[in-house]
Amino acid sequence: MNDRSKEYALPMEYGISSTRMEIDKFIIPAVTIFIALLLFFFMLFPLSAILRLSFFKGGQFGIANFTLENFQRYFTTSYTLNALWHSLYVSIATTIIVTVVIFFFAYAMTRTTISGKTIFRNIIMMPLVAPSIIQALALIYLFGRNGLITAHFFHTSWNIYGSTGIIISEVLYCLPHAFVILYTTLSAVDIRLDEAAESLGATPFKVFTRITLPSAKYGIFSAAALTFNLTITDFGNPVVIGGNYNVLATEIYSQVTNLYRFDLGATISIILLVPSLMAFILNYYISRKTFSMISGAAKPVIPPSRPLKKVSYTIYCWLVSLSIIVIFATVVIGSFVKIWPYDWSLTLEHYSFPSIAGYSAIWTSLWVSLFVGIGGSFLTLVAGYVMETRRPFFKQFIYLLSVMPAAIPGLVMGLGYILAFNKPYYFFYGTPWIIVINIIICNFTLGILSSISNLRNIDPAIEEASISLGGDTVKTFFKIIFPLSRVAFFQNFVYFFMRSMTTISAVIFLVSATVHLASIEIIMLDNDGWTASANAMCTCIIVIVLIMLGILQIVSKKTGKREEGLVSAI
Amino acid sequence: MSKKLVLENVSKHFGSLIAVNNVSLEIEPGEFLCFLGPSGCGKTTILRMITGFEQATSGNIIYDGKIINDVIPQKRDFGIVFQSYALFPNMTVNQNIAFGLKMRKVPQKLIDERVVEILALLGLTGWERHYPSQLSGGQQQRVALGRAIAINPNVLLLDEPLSALDAKIRIRLRTVIKRLQEELGVTMIYVTHDQEEALALADRVVIMREGEFRQIGSPLEIYKEPKTSFIAEFVGTSNFLTCTKKNGKIQFGKLEFMVPDLSDIEEEKIYLAIRPENIELVDVTVSGENCVPSNVVDVEVEVVNFLGAIVRIAFFLEGEEMFVDVPEKEFAKITLKRKDEMKLYFPPDAFYVYTEMFRKLI
Repeated sequence: MNDRSKEYALPMEYGISSTRMEIDKFIIPAVTIFIALLLFFFMLFPLSAILRLSFFKGGQFGIANFTLENFQRYFTTSYTLNALWHSLYVSIATTIIVTVVIFFFAYAMTRTTISGKTIFRNIIMMPLVAPSIIQALALIYLFGRNGLITAHFFHTSWNIYGSTGIIISEVLYCLPHAFVILYTTLSAVDIRLDEAAESLGATPFKVFTRITLPSAKYGIFSAAALTFNLTITDFGNPVVIGGNYNVLATEIYSQVTNLYRFDLGATISIILLVPSLMAFILNYYISRKTFSMISGAAKPVIPPSRPLKKVSYTIYCWLVSLSIIVIFATVVIGSFVKIWPYDWSLTLEHYSFPSIAGYSAIWTSLWVSLFVGIGGSFLTLVAGYVMETRRPFFKQFIYLLSVMPAAIPGLVMGLGYILAFNKPYYFFYGTPWIIVINIIICNFTLGILSSISNLRNIDPAIEEASISLGGDTVKTFFKIIFPLSRVAFFQNFVYFFMRSMTTISAVIFLVSATVHLASIEIIMLDNDGWTASANAMCTCIIVIVLIMLGILQIVSKKTGKREEGLVSAI
Repeated sequence: MSKKLVLENVSKHFGSLIAVNNVSLEIEPGEFLCFLGPSGCGKTTILRMITGFEQATSGNIIYDGKIINDVIPQKRDFGIVFQSYALFPNMTVNQNIAFGLKMRKVPQKLIDERVVEILALLGLTGWERHYPSQLSGGQQQRVALGRAIAINPNVLLLDEPLSALDAKIRIRLRTVIKRLQEELGVTMIYVTHDQEEALALADRVVIMREGEFRQIGSPLEIYKEPKTSFIAEFVGTSNFLTCTKKNGKIQFGKLEFMVPDLSDIEEEKIYLAIRPENIELVDVTVSGENCVPSNVVDVEVEVVNFLGAIVRIAFFLEGEEMFVDVPEKEFAKITLKRKDEMKLYFPPDAFYVYTEMFRKLI
């Protein structure tokens, strides 16, 4: 034994507090239970209210009350039944169009050497910063009864209202979502397979049909499933441009809001759940398969494209991009034009919103979104952290609960909320808080999945190092895990913020006389005939989202420098 | 300060996989103990059971006379150095080293003093405000060491801490670690698959294979008297000869070798092992008169490998490829080349005799 060791000895009174460690034992279970209760109460409970109302007489539980009468009535009333066929038709049409259009667009991004790819990639993502109503608004201004193109230029009486309008607006809405999937797929699949086939004598056509297409098979199915799901659950576009062409989403709304038939609304919600759930499960299966196909080393240089290929793809990408730009331009310009399409003088009069809410709606949306952003990203970070700790039983359960929100259409969730919480003792009902909770829960899945994937990047030994030095769960989380997840946290914040500003379906049932949201105001203004003001409101939302995106860029650049050592230095 | 760490019939099962099989060991306070073995032998599992990140399936881990199986890692007061260093990327060198002290609510003034002390001990003075990503691998490893010893643990556990570094830095850091252990007097438990490292650092080495302790001893003992054929091969290099025992003599192909101490061996099949440096070159490294005639052979040189301080000559004997190591100074006197003849002497007492041969794990 060495005498020098005495020099380095630490005074005995400094040790690890036993009480702190005792409390620490309960932290993870407590947080897990909290999150489980949250999802239970704010997701399963509303869902059960819908089930109750549609499957049981008078909404009372009990074997005697079980009935399929509501469904019977639905399937025998031709008007409401048509909503189902309409929805399926529109969704399938949109799915086919989007998948084809985006496939070639993603192909152009990943397999050709056209210039301006960054611009194209940014433009294709633009629809995400606006509510899924901007397409309808723009199309009406262009092709509606007083449309710039239909009435003004061509003087026809044809207009875009109805299924055509819905399909086109949904196509333009779904482009970014499908693009993300297909871009990832085509980037990951090895381009050298194409080259190998060519070197063996295959014609470009054969290479395309035998090699390129099949290798992207899972991505295509995944994008298709997602598009189908997005379209069939969308409310914003159909309600504005659908006219008399009813779809499931608008049917639910009108049954509940106009006819006060909550039971029928609940029934239609269940019917909407079926295709939505199927598409979700399909997507889930596919995404598991895709992971095993992505090769880590597949990033070689793309061979220069032949001039004809280059030109045609460039034109193609510009056409797609222009359609998106035109949508945004129409709405923004339309908000400043006195009387579209007749009086082109610029004015700000549409920005003094002639509705009851006006700017207060924007204000409410803004701070609701800030709360959603902070609450959502923090909650999903904590939930993700809990998932990564070793608690097998809880983990599977929480995982299942966490993935469910993605399978439930926002409209259905919203209806569930008013059915479940419309009681005096639920103090948050009728306040903006119920909206905050609703939006967080509806977008919970992507948030937690992104958190988990980010947490996986952190060397697990780092947590063990903290523990070995005496760190408890809370200290480890706040001093180490949270600082290391800063970039992911901001990204999640912006995601939640963006969804909150632009969501319509989830909150359409939750606004009231006292609580107004900007995205819903658009519909109200349009309903009342103030179309230009509706465009103005839409523009305001876009500007706010863009500003937040800009702030994220600046913040992530600043923290980016120190995040080099995000992963432990091995 | 004399706190002994004892493993008592410790086993660890992962389902049907037996990672550690009923091992026992007493670790003396202040000793430098090395667990050495190939990948998957269970050495890291034992380490993790000692630190508390893994629970033993059966058996006891005893420290200072008390069973600590259920004590949480935070309360064990052991320092750990991880293979990936696991430095906190968002904290400076100072903050990393101070972390354990902060957790113990040590007053800031004391923390600052101690950190300065440790930086000096490890040669890191001047790097206080740097982040791990700004340091070299060797520096990061020293910070990891500093962080672990800051809390003045009685036992320091290191899990292959040098495996990610290049050879020269590894050798340098080895000295840092050895010197540190001698200065602080901590019990050091070191896990590695690098036998050179183990032999250079440890007071005692525990050779592990397939979850069991195969031999425990000082580096010299392990090297000079490997108990099993696996150890003869794993530690250092050995040539292996498959022989048969006949009439008290060992037959290797057409040759007959003399080997001492055969009385208690009943098996017919015998495996001999001899280290390349123990094979002598007749009339070069050993004089011909001192050789037992039956153990002298004539062979032809296959390949001459110049390894710096020694020259390794490959040759065939009875169809088996073998090596003999000759000090470079001696080799310079004769300079053999391919196809030359040489006379080799296999001293009888240089042979290790085994009745089993290990399975070659590829």
